[in-house]
Amino acid sequence: MEVKLSNLNDYTVVSIHGRVDTLTASDFESKILEVLEGGAKKLLLDCSDLAYISSSGLRVFLVAQKKMMASGGSLKLCCLQPEIKEIFDISGFSTIFSIFPDAESAAAQ
Amino acid sequence: MIKNSTLSRSITLANRIDELTRISAFLEETTEQWDLPMALGMSLNLVLEEAFTNVVQYAYTDKEQHEIELLMEKSGKELIVTIIDDGQPYDPTKKTDPDINLNVENRPIGGLGIFLIKKTMDNVAYERKNDKNHLIMTKNLA
Repeated sequence: MEVKLSNLNDYTVVSIHGRVDTLTASDFESKILEVLEGGAKKLLLDCSDLAYISSSGLRVFLVAQKKMMASGGSLKLCCLQPEIKEIFDISGFSTIFSIFPDAESAAAQ
Repeated sequence: MIKNSTLSRSITLANRIDELTRISAFLEETTEQWDLPMALGMSLNLVLEEAFTNVVQYAYTDKEQHEIELLMEKSGKELIVTIIDDGQPYDPTKKTDPDINLNVENRPIGGLGIFLIKKTMDNVAYERKNDKNHLIMTKNLA
């Protein structure tokens, strides 16, 4: 698992590469928290290259969403692969995140 | 081509989270050898990760090394995945499903693992046999 940071409009974009599972979730969590603690108020998690997610990874997404909402920020997701989207659907996570088909439409609003 | 034959593969794992790497490799070999669809391989990876992680994190009250057996069988249109551990008795099928309609503020952190297994597989059963937990997860193959 690796993350890459970039900017699009006024969004901080975190591109997630690889697997977010029980083995990598804590590393992912500390990287996300670092971005949040850096003061990012508009965050876009680009999941184009997110190959796999388990409940440990979903947990980190939920933590990030809770923190963003508590601080009045905005968290968006884009570009989920169909297998990943299915897991979000099953978990009910599709309704608690703003999910966009591509980065441009997510960062446009 | 052999019809209606039962295929079977197993692996013995230690109760350590880093064994997930061996589980993924074992699953990849099995998916390839049995010619299973790739999408199924990915959902099985999720199921096995959730089930195995639960055992490693919650089944043992001591600090000893334990053996966990993972058994995969394919019989006709059925794929059966069984995890056998010698931890304390625990029936995950009895766990209450999380409320997936709660909003973000009220949504508890965690508690999704077993639920994902139940939603992904067609049947999940538990048996306690010879002082061991058997979690038997079945997927109907199309």
